[in-house]
Amino acid sequence: MNEFLSFSATYLPYLLQGALVTIEIAVIGVIFGSIIGLLVGLGRVSSNPLLSQISRFYIWVIRGTPLLLQLFVIHFAIPSVFSALTMPPFVSACIALSLNAAAYIAEIARGAIQSIDKGQMEAARSLGLSAGQAMRRIIIPQAFRRMLPPLGNEFIALIKESSLVSTIALYDLLRTGQQIISSTYRYMEVFLLVGLIYLFLTTIMSYIVGKIEKKVGAYE
Amino acid sequence: MISCKNIIKKFDKLEVLKGIDLDVAPGEVVVIIGPSGSGKSTFLRCINRLEAADSGTITINGQAVEYKESSLNKLRQDIGMVFQQFNLFPHMTVMENIIEAPVLLKKMTKDGAKKKGLELLNKVGLEEKENEYPNRLSGGQKQRVAIARALAMEPKIMLFDEPTSALDPELVGEVLTVMKKLAKEGMTMVVVTHEMGFAREVADRVIFMDGGTIIEQGPPEVIFETPQHDRTKEFLGHLK
Repeated sequence: MNEFLSFSATYLPYLLQGALVTIEIAVIGVIFGSIIGLLVGLGRVSSNPLLSQISRFYIWVIRGTPLLLQLFVIHFAIPSVFSALTMPPFVSACIALSLNAAAYIAEIARGAIQSIDKGQMEAARSLGLSAGQAMRRIIIPQAFRRMLPPLGNEFIALIKESSLVSTIALYDLLRTGQQIISSTYRYMEVFLLVGLIYLFLTTIMSYIVGKIEKKVGAYE
Repeated sequence: MISCKNIIKKFDKLEVLKGIDLDVAPGEVVVIIGPSGSGKSTFLRCINRLEAADSGTITINGQAVEYKESSLNKLRQDIGMVFQQFNLFPHMTVMENIIEAPVLLKKMTKDGAKKKGLELLNKVGLEEKENEYPNRLSGGQKQRVAIARALAMEPKIMLFDEPTSALDPELVGEVLTVMKKLAKEGMTMVVVTHEMGFAREVADRVIFMDGGTIIEQGPPEVIFETPQHDRTKEFLGHLK
């Protein structure tokens, strides 16, 4: 036990550095994934057939292919054709995670919007609000409340799936762990620590989402 | 004030409105009665185009109700609507529900709208509820807030779609009282309801609809005491 503690004391700072990278790409993924996802979700429920078809196509492709493949396409395949699009691993990772999360968040947004009673839209329209105003002021604020629980799941999944970026030479939490193993061969200790840190991050995330849920749910 | 000519509405192949003609004069209170599925709610919803009629024309104050977003939105500001299920905005307080549309559409200041909102709450007897969320209110209170919300836009016409049908019996009275008050003030009203007492007491004209057509119409005392049509007699007979 003592031995494990002293091992941890030595290597934890390195792991925390990796964890910082994991946090960075996860936060960026959450922010941009949410923005893009909300737009795609609105497109999906739009009465404009072009918008809704484009959104549907986007969701179909992203959800139907592995994140690892998407990461490889963005980091290796596209730059191999258009060399101008060569990016550092960190940027590729952020783009891939954001685009991937957006597809899932779009479906969460669509589900939440469609779950709002249609009487809400009718009441808003009967007062003279335009479709856009009704969406912005009446439907989306209510849908947002319903999005939070599944959104929390998605954010937690995003933290865990971000470990895939270790495959494109980005020193996130998992890859940092692997690197330590390659010089110490202490599989059990390192993976235990890595797992504990992931668990810590996901716990924090669900705590934050839970707090927001409570706050915006005051009216229920 | 409202003029409907030959309104036809189909849901897929089912014809729910088979050519409805109706003119409503300013200040008139028209009550539409009839069995479920007679098309009375659908007709009401055609007036402010929550349902689009398949053919026929509707004019409000001489302006045609047609499909053009901007003019439709403008027109709807003059037509208040009260729903069976209240449809209050649950994420807003009572006062926020009421001032939402005036602040957004009439560019009223929040303070001005609130002052007006308090007057309206006073009118429906709920001034102490301004900061409550709708889920804390009873059905009757919700419906009175919904009426205040519609009135906040200062509409020229009020449409009521079975406003008391979702209420516990002991809460019906408080909503009808507010509606009677409105009628007395000269509001033009079209009311779809099963409350025959209200129709008898408040209506200037009662319309009996069945099977997507107007079967019979006239002053309440005529419709209720000496209905001409067999279908009307049968329907009213069931109520006794």
